[in-house]
Amino acid sequence: MSAQDTKSLWADAFSRLVRDRWALISLVIVIIYAGIAVLATVGWGLPDWKTSQASEYLPPSSQFWLGTDLFGRDVFAKVIHGTKIAMSVGLVTSLIAIPIGVFIGAIAGYFGGWIDDIISWFITTFSSIPNIMLLISITLIMGKGLVSVYLALGITGWVGLARLIRGEVMKHKEREYVHAASAIGGGHFRKLFIHILPNVTHLVIINTSLQFQTAIKSEVILSYLGLGVQGEPSWGTMIDDARQELARGVWWQLAGATFAMFLVVLAFNLLGDALRDSLDPKLKGK
Amino acid sequence: MDRPLLSIKDLTVDFITPDASMRAVDNMSFDVPMGKTVGIVGESGSGKSVTSLAIMRLLPQPPAHISGQILFDGTDLLKLPDDQMRKIRGDKIAMIFQEPMTSLNPVFKTGAQVAETLMLHRGMDKKTAWEKAIDLFNEVGIPNPSQKVHAYPHEMSGGQKQRVMIAMAIACDPKLLICDEPTTALDVTIQKQVLELLKGLQEKHKMSMLFITHDLGVIADVADDVVVMYRSKMVEKDKTRAIFESSKHPYTKGLIACRPDMGANPKRLLTVSDFMDEAGNGLKVTRDRVQVFEKDYEAKNGNDILLEVKDIHTHFPIKGGLFGRKVGEVKAVDGVSFQLKRGKTLGLVGESGCGKTTLGRTILRLVEPTSGSIIYDGKDVTKMGQEEMRLLRRKMQIIFQDPYSSLNPRMTVGEILTEPLVVHGLGGGKKERLDAAKALMEKVGMKANQLNRYPHEFSGGQRQRICIARALMLRPEFVICDESVSALDVSIQAQVLNLLLDLQQEFKLTYIFISHDLGVVNFISDEVGVMNKGVLVEMDRADRIYKQPREEYTKQLLGAIPKGLPKNIEAFIS
Repeated sequence: MSAQDTKSLWADAFSRLVRDRWALISLVIVIIYAGIAVLATVGWGLPDWKTSQASEYLPPSSQFWLGTDLFGRDVFAKVIHGTKIAMSVGLVTSLIAIPIGVFIGAIAGYFGGWIDDIISWFITTFSSIPNIMLLISITLIMGKGLVSVYLALGITGWVGLARLIRGEVMKHKEREYVHAASAIGGGHFRKLFIHILPNVTHLVIINTSLQFQTAIKSEVILSYLGLGVQGEPSWGTMIDDARQELARGVWWQLAGATFAMFLVVLAFNLLGDALRDSLDPKLKGK
Repeated sequence: MDRPLLSIKDLTVDFITPDASMRAVDNMSFDVPMGKTVGIVGESGSGKSVTSLAIMRLLPQPPAHISGQILFDGTDLLKLPDDQMRKIRGDKIAMIFQEPMTSLNPVFKTGAQVAETLMLHRGMDKKTAWEKAIDLFNEVGIPNPSQKVHAYPHEMSGGQKQRVMIAMAIACDPKLLICDEPTTALDVTIQKQVLELLKGLQEKHKMSMLFITHDLGVIADVADDVVVMYRSKMVEKDKTRAIFESSKHPYTKGLIACRPDMGANPKRLLTVSDFMDEAGNGLKVTRDRVQVFEKDYEAKNGNDILLEVKDIHTHFPIKGGLFGRKVGEVKAVDGVSFQLKRGKTLGLVGESGCGKTTLGRTILRLVEPTSGSIIYDGKDVTKMGQEEMRLLRRKMQIIFQDPYSSLNPRMTVGEILTEPLVVHGLGGGKKERLDAAKALMEKVGMKANQLNRYPHEFSGGQRQRICIARALMLRPEFVICDESVSALDVSIQAQVLNLLLDLQQEFKLTYIFISHDLGVVNFISDEVGVMNKGVLVEMDRADRIYKQPREEYTKQLLGAIPKGLPKNIEAFIS
């Protein structure tokens, strides 16, 4: 072996990931969703959903792939635009929840003692409140709208990750490479952030993928309950609209939104599984 | 003589996965005669365990592809249908594994696990099976058998658990007992008891045994014939005595020679590479390689005391109850005092749990002592502040046991080696630091261009060299080696020990060498301290400890070491 073909564990994991066919398909789906979300945000190249283009409740046809809604708007275009809300909720809540979860979990796991006691108490209390109740009360306090959804999901999403990281850090801090870092005179900062954290990052990545899809589902539920997004198509509000429509035999709005959500949630789940398989050193070689 | 109980012919095992294929066992043929013990020796990865699993048909197929013949009592096990094989397994052929901690199911009573075997293979009802289990516990020497059958695995010591495993294995009077490193996880004194038990049972039940181990000393004690494996191939098979006295294959010679023993001390240990080159060709060993090493006990140079430990105690609290109150304490180190001269090596030996590792870590203040003082170069380490301690870390280093967990898997070797310099702000810029790392890599026998590799790309022995290099980056004067060669194969162990001796001379190092292996400690140490239950039982010059031990415990420990057969140094010289 020459010095060039050296491989870090990350590179090694990546090459294992792309060899998994389902993981690759999932990754492509996630990238397409992300691409659509970006296009919808900059308002470029996507079909128009705002204006009424035909009469109400037209069934799916070659012109309107998923038919039209009450105002004669293109349902397919609405589904496409709903991607923007879904993906942005996933992204923003992950950006809020993950740093909090990692930091709090790492501190609790590394220092232990009374610091851990306090944080663990907090985690346990937080996770004993039914999640959806907490979400509803937060959005009710802060008012309806996207920002409330971001915040509500962000500050409830860190708990599971914090617990995971805490346990993993506790395990790693007794490893000999951490003792070795103490023996060369490394301080707490070095041991925790330079030695231990890179060894638990794979959990963060796996968790992000799962966090993402949980956030998407939660946004749909909140919007369905009328607490979420206003004035913009989201899959949740579309499913909410479908309540009245189904009685009249109008199924396409429900089907479109549900399928769009199903596909992305499935993709994230498969990706999460594949990431765990390829990143977890314990499963290596199996 | 009648036909052998087990006869293996041209056994080949390949592991074939979509990514790679590997030949684990290559064309093995050997016999296990009735009532005899055959030992298989080899280093990790040589294929010895795979052979035993192939005999038991416990290898998953695929990925394993097995060819050849395994004749047991005349029937080819490889051709038997699964349900018949299951009847043979545990009944006619039984197996004992290495790890007694994980081979017993923690949620069942130990007696129940023995009784289960009996109910399954002998069709006994529950009551008779339990009675038989008590008899078996008695036979394998577990005290109070009628009570101990109701004990759960965690309520037993490691030695007792291995006895339960043996009871389970002999429950159905097997004709063949396969022992896969049955004593490797045990302390020497327990190992001796278990080996004696196995030998006794074999004679009583007229069993044949297939005994797999990496330890030549153990093999010499138990086996009638020895099969030596190297890189999936059988390189030699012969009577045990013949293997030790006149082995023909250079690898076997190397394996025997590289084992440090209690007898004469060579200046350096011979290694397998003295006998054989990479391609497997035999080399000539000249007389100057086997010089006897006269240790310079009353050293003229540097008689000053570098380290003095005075009445050190390290206790750990045992927490329990609702709010984690302290309910007791473990006295890991309970009043140890000694002095260590500069440039010398102190060996600390003792069985697991005797406090030797805690003592080492306490001296470096990786663990805080409960009381006592540690005077290093005239200053009390226990009273130092954080900054002073940080500066002292440049002088005191440690090399750990496990070369797998002591290197951060996410850092390159270059990052690992330069880190000590970065922490202490030494060694100039990045380039100078890397140059220093390169120089040290070469000193420990590695290549300088391997700095951008990651730890998982190296073998165990290479990783331990990297650990040694890291410890030396700060140019320390004092290094604690905590079981630093215990996880390595004997031939690699010999190379690393030689390296440690060379580095000691070159860098004027003072060592504390912690090990459970008395042979290794005898080879490397000037002085030896024997520890038991947190106290230093006896401390003296290495030669005196081994030749005239004063304390009962030391004698017991020395008596328990498998002696092997004395090696005949002359036979190695060609």
